[in-house]
Amino acid sequence: MPVIYSLKNVVKSRVVEDAGFRLRVPSIEIKAQENVALVGHSGCGKSTLLDMLALALHPDSADEFKLTPIDDKSQDIARLWQKKKQNQLAKIRRQHIGYVLQQGGLLPYLTVRENIELPRKLMNMPEDDSTRSIARVMGIHRQLDKLPGLLSAGERQRVAFTRALSHRPSILLADEPTASLDPITARKIMAVVMELVKGLKITMITASHDWAHVYKMDLRSLHQEAEVVENGNVYQSTFRD
Amino acid sequence: MFTQFNKIISLSFRDYTHEWRMSGCFVLALASVLAPMMILFGLKFGIVSSMINGLIENPANREIRAVGSGRYDDAWFERFRARKDVAFVIPKTRALAATIQLKSPNASRIFSTEMLATAEHDPLLVNVASKPQGYYQIVLSESIADKLKVHKGERVDGSLVRQFRGKRERVHIDLQVVDIVPVSVISRKMVFVSLDLILATESFKDGRAVTALGWSGDAEKSTMREFPSFRLYARSISDVENLVKDLQQQGINVKANISEIKTVQSIDHNLSIIFWIIACVGAVGFSFSLGASLWANVDRKRRELSILRLVGFHGGKIILFPVLQSMYTGFLGWLLAVLMYLLAEQSINQLLAPSLDIDQVICYLLPQHFFWALALTMFVAATAAILGGIRASRIEPSDGLREI
Repeated sequence: MPVIYSLKNVVKSRVVEDAGFRLRVPSIEIKAQENVALVGHSGCGKSTLLDMLALALHPDSADEFKLTPIDDKSQDIARLWQKKKQNQLAKIRRQHIGYVLQQGGLLPYLTVRENIELPRKLMNMPEDDSTRSIARVMGIHRQLDKLPGLLSAGERQRVAFTRALSHRPSILLADEPTASLDPITARKIMAVVMELVKGLKITMITASHDWAHVYKMDLRSLHQEAEVVENGNVYQSTFRD
Repeated sequence: MFTQFNKIISLSFRDYTHEWRMSGCFVLALASVLAPMMILFGLKFGIVSSMINGLIENPANREIRAVGSGRYDDAWFERFRARKDVAFVIPKTRALAATIQLKSPNASRIFSTEMLATAEHDPLLVNVASKPQGYYQIVLSESIADKLKVHKGERVDGSLVRQFRGKRERVHIDLQVVDIVPVSVISRKMVFVSLDLILATESFKDGRAVTALGWSGDAEKSTMREFPSFRLYARSISDVENLVKDLQQQGINVKANISEIKTVQSIDHNLSIIFWIIACVGAVGFSFSLGASLWANVDRKRRELSILRLVGFHGGKIILFPVLQSMYTGFLGWLLAVLMYLLAEQSINQLLAPSLDIDQVICYLLPQHFFWALALTMFVAATAAILGGIRASRIEPSDGLREI
């Protein structure tokens, strides 16, 4: 399988409450249709790494940060950030990436259907049955005309997954998608998502602090280790293949 | 991209109506700052302006009086009538010749009354619809009308006396009172007549015949007439000083209320300054309160704006989202303020008009004032939202995502 993401010596630093935090990625390669888990306790930089993979956060420095979507040319993401090509990044994000947030990130003023179809409409994609069929698989086809505020947390996450998949991205990113759900619901949703991802031949990267899922599902987990450096002033977290 | 543009318009509107309570609060907040400002301006343009204008345009302040008598011919009057800074000029005859005895059937006494020639555009007769025409019409001042106990439309007997070839002669003329000038305009006992009548009177008193009225005497004088004096009003009080200077250069000794004019001008000037200070403070306060609330709104929207960016909207288009919502607030707030203002205007005019006894409405605004209020509101709304929106679009999409 071709390599989708290729990262070398990517560094992102943040200052949180006077304490330094540094995320380091010496080398990561993610191949097409891989199912990757970012595992670690909260605060270890999973979301930061995921945001960078979603092109929503710029790295401080990177020897290499390449994204090669299926059926598209390779993109030098590090260079695009350097040149502040925000709109081009937005375009790549819109075309190739679906992102599921912990709290769903649904727009409260749009119905479930409108939320789901928003990415499609932005890309001028024609209306077809695919949204409905994904919604059916996700088990939310009866909620399409409701506002998100009327749904349960589990249903909202199902809608969030449906929206992330509606425009047929080749990459699905999910940040703690089940953290706010009870374990039974969480397992049910993830099982359905795994089926879909496999069927649609999508590369999926999930951040989760919950080890149980990882062992149950057939995922590749990235190694994460943490250490305190620079005389205890900086908390450094490293992810590697 | 056109799709994104359309989408942003519909999304911002959906969000605005979805959050109708919050939007309603913003609209109310805007209207409650704007409406009092509009009422203040309504009062400024209504009562205050009309009072100041009354002072400024008061005929007494615009009058230029000749001191002593001179010789002014028709050409002189023509020249002054043609001047842009002269509102009205008319000849005056000798005071002795301009006196008439008035007698009405309703009162027993005969009143010797001074006549003033009048014509169209006489500042003293602004509110008099029908000016005296020909020989038989007059306008009375209220004080003499009261003495004679006559009303508009009634008739009085005018009589003139002269010593002619050693004999005392008296002629009568039947006069119709076409209107009465209120005491607020002129307090003296005065009768306004046409120039024809006052010239006929002078001819009679000088011993000449007036064939039109059947009065006998020496042959009528057909040569150019000259008048000893004039009644002259400047177009506005600011023209008075210049006119006085011109007249004095011609060797005509005149008097005008220059010092009163200065007082009125300084009152007008100072009141205008006070109003503009209030207006500026009000406008700045309004801008800040509107700007602050809309800016805060953009901050509140950061998470949703981040999600829109994550879904793939361009940064530039994202700014439109809060800007459009601010426009909705601006327009609706303005609309509400206009309604509140109109309600207040109606109440003020109806409650206060009877007690103030003036024809002018107390509070009113011109259509362009409403337009300027809208323009200012929209400008401030858009500016505040653009500044807030630029900030929102500059932050990375990931920044707003995990805010609670």
